[in-house]
Amino acid sequence: MEKKFQFVEIDEQASEHIAAPHYSYWKSVFRTFFKSKLAIAMLILATIIFSIAMIQPLFSNYDPLNSPNILDFSLRFNPPNSQNWFGTDNVGNSLFDAVWAGTRTSILISFISTAINLTLGIAVGAFWGYSKKFDKVMLEIYNVVANVPFLLVVTMMLYVIGYGFWKLIFALTITGWFGIAYFIRTQVMIIRDREYNLVSRCLGTPTSRMITRNILPYLTSVIVTLLSREIPVIISTESVLSFLGIGLTAATPSLGRMISQYTSFINAYPYLFWIPVSILASVSISFYIVGQTFADASDPKTHM
Amino acid sequence: MEREVILSVRDLEVSFPKGKGRFIAVRDANFDIYKGETFALVGESGSGKTTIGRSIIRINPTSKGKIIFEGKVINEKLSAEEDRQVIKNIQMIFQDPATSLNERATIDYIISEGLVNFKMFKSQEERKAKVVKSLAEVGLLQEHVTRYPHEFSGGQRQRIGIARAMIMEPKLIIADEPISALDVSIRAQVLNLMKTLQEEKGLTYLFIAHDLSVVRFISDRIAVIHLGRIVELANTADLFLHPLHPYTRSLLSAVPMPDPISEKAKELMVYTENLHDYSVHQPSFVEIAPGHFVWANEPELEQYRELLK
Repeated sequence: MEKKFQFVEIDEQASEHIAAPHYSYWKSVFRTFFKSKLAIAMLILATIIFSIAMIQPLFSNYDPLNSPNILDFSLRFNPPNSQNWFGTDNVGNSLFDAVWAGTRTSILISFISTAINLTLGIAVGAFWGYSKKFDKVMLEIYNVVANVPFLLVVTMMLYVIGYGFWKLIFALTITGWFGIAYFIRTQVMIIRDREYNLVSRCLGTPTSRMITRNILPYLTSVIVTLLSREIPVIISTESVLSFLGIGLTAATPSLGRMISQYTSFINAYPYLFWIPVSILASVSISFYIVGQTFADASDPKTHM
Repeated sequence: MEREVILSVRDLEVSFPKGKGRFIAVRDANFDIYKGETFALVGESGSGKTTIGRSIIRINPTSKGKIIFEGKVINEKLSAEEDRQVIKNIQMIFQDPATSLNERATIDYIISEGLVNFKMFKSQEERKAKVVKSLAEVGLLQEHVTRYPHEFSGGQRQRIGIARAMIMEPKLIIADEPISALDVSIRAQVLNLMKTLQEEKGLTYLFIAHDLSVVRFISDRIAVIHLGRIVELANTADLFLHPLHPYTRSLLSAVPMPDPISEKAKELMVYTENLHDYSVHQPSFVEIAPGHFVWANEPELEQYRELLK
């Protein structure tokens, strides 16, 4: 009779083997991100706007104080055409040059301010959430700062120190990081006492490494969310300030100032108003959607 | 035979702030742990057994008493060098493998965390070799070093936790219910692993558990703790043969029996504090027989001595 059963060797190690392919955090983040078609479209839009805004003004040499065509009446209020893609304004300047110069200023201000706010906010917030003594002091300071409206602080600062590109950035960042730091503090406090952090304490891990290896990696998604919210917020704050006529000097091109100038032409020459507004909206929306999708993708719960 | 004491706990009290006052979680804890043995702390949920373990590893601050490790008091402010020595020599295996591993770090980082903190290697090659060796000791594979904790099963994760503690080459390991979060089918695997490692490395365990059958299997001596107080301490055999304190007896009577007939006939003893009359005679922790301690007052001791005869 044929032997139907036979003995086999047991390989203890075989049951330990993990068959799944290697997991890589950042690879999974990008894979999840590129699943969203809207995000890809917005990323392309953001890249195009960003590149044009950074490169075009270098060639156009647009200067809001200088109107070389002011005497040529035929160049005033030209609607968008093949020569001037976005048309011309009341002093014969090309709106195309003006818009990109303004966008460049807005993007630069928002990127620099966000970078400063986020760096300071995360650094202070991480330590704030970790140290109970520091928390007591910082909470009192925060309560004072948080109860003064942000726009009031910025406006007052600008009246005191004057207008200008770097002065505006200073005004936007002097208290701007506090909110971020407070938010990070709360997040750190939630994670701080989890069991794996007790383990690290039992292994003698110093606090600095606890923050960088045990806490901050868990906050990637939260930080990217903050980033994607902060950039549009700063862009619109800058526009509001320029619209109100504070913040930047007349020599700095700015979308907000442009919109405020062209508001009077909203009925007669609507393109003068709507083109800068839609560029401003596209910048905010595309950066926001890209950031939000990236924040979702950087949450490992979405990787499965 | 004189045995070397590795850890002594004297009159330990641990309390936590509760409202305006304090809640005393552990009181008058006294015991010695000898080198190379497995000492078990058993008690119900909330009895303070984990608190004792955590105050030995200095996560929970103590409010009274002394914890002496190798002749040095460790529950006070230590110099940086002493602190390092204590951290290196006392390690802990945590209860829940699901929460005790850093999900955003690779196994390589998790296991070598202690090595990095103490610079216990000369080159990166030596560190890697140590990690692989320590993984092999707990039955895991070299290929696991680049993996993340979420890719492992509960039993594997607990073994990672064991490897992480073992790589420090500690003298004392506090195992805080190391198998209670595991599936029944792999409990034996982890327990046997712990026993093997103890024999190979001459480790001392403080084993915290609520499962008496497990404790009977692994430990040499057992302390029974009830509402923050150690009520009885004895060798495993003595405790199971001659349980004296009514709480110990009620615990033992609750052990399920794998035989339906005797299980039905089993008489459960219910323990309440009303069994004791401490109005006249104050109780204390008395060595009633060699190595057998019980928390009792004079009349009770008389009674217990009768039982021992």
